Parts: sequence; structure tokens; C-alpha cells
Amino acid sequence: MNYPANTAAARGLALCHVCGHLDKVELHECSRCGGGLHLRKTDSLQRTLALLVTAVILYIPANVLPIMNTVQLGKGEPATILGGVVLLINLGSYPIAAVIFIASVMVPVAKLMALFYLVWNGYRKVPASGIQCTKIYRLTELVGKWSMVDVFVVAILVALIHLTGLLVILPGPAAVAFAGVVVSTILAAHAFDTRLIWDRMKEDND
Amino acid sequence: MQDISSQTHTACEECDLLIAVPAVAEGERAECPRCGHTLTQRPRQGFERSLSFALAACVFFAISLAFPFLTLANGGIENVMTLPEASIAIWREQDPVLAVIVFLAIIALPIALIGTIIALVTPLVLNKQAAWLPGVGKLMFGLNDWAMVDVFVIGTIVSLVKIAKLATVILGLSFWAYILFAICLTASLSGLDRLQVWKAIDAATP
Repeated sequence: MNYPANTAAARGLALCHVCGHLDKVELHECSRCGGGLHLRKTDSLQRTLALLVTAVILYIPANVLPIMNTVQLGKGEPATILGGVVLLINLGSYPIAAVIFIASVMVPVAKLMALFYLVWNGYRKVPASGIQCTKIYRLTELVGKWSMVDVFVVAILVALIHLTGLLVILPGPAAVAFAGVVVSTILAAHAFDTRLIWDRMKEDND
Repeated sequence: MQDISSQTHTACEECDLLIAVPAVAEGERAECPRCGHTLTQRPRQGFERSLSFALAACVFFAISLAFPFLTLANGGIENVMTLPEASIAIWREQDPVLAVIVFLAIIALPIALIGTIIALVTPLVLNKQAAWLPGVGKLMFGLNDWAMVDVFVIGTIVSLVKIAKLATVILGLSFWAYILFAICLTASLSGLDRLQVWKAIDAATP
């Protein structure tokens, strides 16, 4: 592969994955911290894609199965993520309904779509602009962990509401699936290498 | 070909542009001319500030572990919940994977992160040499992405609104301490720039 002349890779220099030290790639190990040296993250697109597919698969049970089960006077009432949002709207808590809807529904879907788009651009012969893709990537990194909000809400409700016989809240199978979605999308964002997109751009339209 | 070494040059982490590292004074920030990625920044008294906030965070965390987090009051019955119970209750409800994820995200990894910040920054502030600095530095930057203290704070607030209709919730000392802990941890991390930290580690490793 030919790297653009203004890049470090064109001169055989790579940033250490761990400490960010610029080193000759033929050393294989960073001379400062011993971390790995590669011109680009290894198998970046394949790894990102694999983690994205994992997240999509986990996303199905996360939305179809109940995230928690409210047992009141012996009667269970399971609720899904979307069901929880609808309940909050019915209670009139619009700001909180918006927080949960954005964090648990919009952000994960937008993040999955954004990362699929980036991987697709990594494979295309003529990708979209590097600056645009880099900005999208930064957004996916920024919002990554915020989708965990709903999982923490379940954790707190389960621990707090435990009036045996009267009212108990139990975690549903969707909670762990949803945590899995968040973790695999964070890992997918880590695995993606924005430099692959810059490598495919012509130097004159930097 | 001009002489290029890690002493004089760095590469942009996001677009791999080879750049001569500019001298960055306190309070200044350097960004990549091509993609706008922040290459490095030097907050005023960054290390001193990081250390003081990390020590304060330690104190707040100890308080938040020792006192009640939230108390549920419903018709004469009181149910006190401590911070670790957010994870323990899920464990009791036969969902060990979710319990471990919650425990790591809100307790174990934040403690480890604070510990590594203190172990790393103390020798740097005191101008002492320490052989373990590179190892601690690696650990600190690795933990950074997985501590979800701020997300948990939002999750708690969402839970409070959800419960408000069911019962009275009393905010415990631990709740306030955890919010202060989240603020101090964020402030502490903002003083630690990867390039500057590793430069300091390099100079302080015997």
C-alpha cells in the first residue's frame, strides 16, 4: 500500500498504540513503553465490522425482551425499553422520557449506523471526505458510554425497590443484552482507524 | 530528506499527518492543521491540579461507600440502599454478568482510575524518579474509557423521577458525595494530556 507522502506512515514511522510515541515501525515494539507498533490498527475494518454485527444481534433481545419486571402484590408487569419510555410519557415526565429515548433508542441506532457508514467508507475506492468521516467518528466516541444510563436505572431500581410481598423490581434479560450492545459498540469504535479513510484521499484535496 | 525523529515530530492520531511538534506553553493547545484533532494541550498547573482533584475524589468516594445512597420510605417501611448494593442486588437476582458490569463501571474501575492517577502524578509533581511510571501510565489511559461515573449520576437522577410517583425517596449523604466524586474525577482527568504525561513519564523514569 502506498501512503500519502505527507504522512508518518510514508516514512515508516508509526505512533505507539499505547503511549503515542512516534517510532520506526520496523522496531515492532515501542522504544519508550514496549507497546505494539503498526502503521495502521491491524485488521481494523474486519474487527470493527465483527463487533458491529455482534452489537446488532444483541440489539434484538435488548429491545424485544423486558428490561425489568415490576412485581406488585405478586403480580408481574414486565416492561421493555420502549415500554418504559411510553410509561414515562403517560406519567407526564417528558424530560426524563426524552433522556431515556435519546440515550437508549436514538444514540445506539445512530452510533451503529455511523460506524457502518465509516466501515463502508473504509472499503470504498473513493471515500467521503476525511474531515467529515473524522467528525462522525469523534461523535461516536463521545456518546459511546452514555447509553449505559438505562442499565444503571435498572440497577438502582432493583436495589432500592425491595419491599418484599408488596413491591419488588427484578432485572430483565434485556438489561444484560443492552449492556452488551454498549460494550461492543465502544469496542467497535476503538477498533476503527480513521487514518484508513485519509489514506484513500487524494493529497490535493486534503 | 530532513531529519525526522520522535524528539522533533509527531503524527496526528486521527489522520497520520506528520507534524513538527510545536512548543506548547501552559494554557495552550496544539491541533492538527489538517483534521483539527487536539495533538496536545497544557492546562495551567495541570499535574498539580490533577493530583489535588484526585485526592479530593478519594475522600468523596470513601464517604459515598460508607453512608446510605438512597432511602425508600413507603407507609412506615424504610429500605436503605448503599452504593455497592446497586450491583449486589442484581447479583442476588441471578444476573451475575450484569452485576459484574455495573460493579466495574461504577465502583471498581473508578477506584482503580483514581489510584493510578495518584500513583502517576505524585512523583511527577514532586520531581521524583520512579521505575513503575510507564506501567501505571498505560493502566491509567486504558481505564479512562471504562469508568462511567458521570453516566451513573444521570442514571440515578432518572431513577429518582421514575420512583417519585411510587414512594418518597430520601437522598443520602453518599448520593451527594458521589456527585462531588464524579466532578472531581472529571476535573482531575482534564489536567492529563497524553503527550504531556508521557513526556513527563519519560523524563522521570530512571
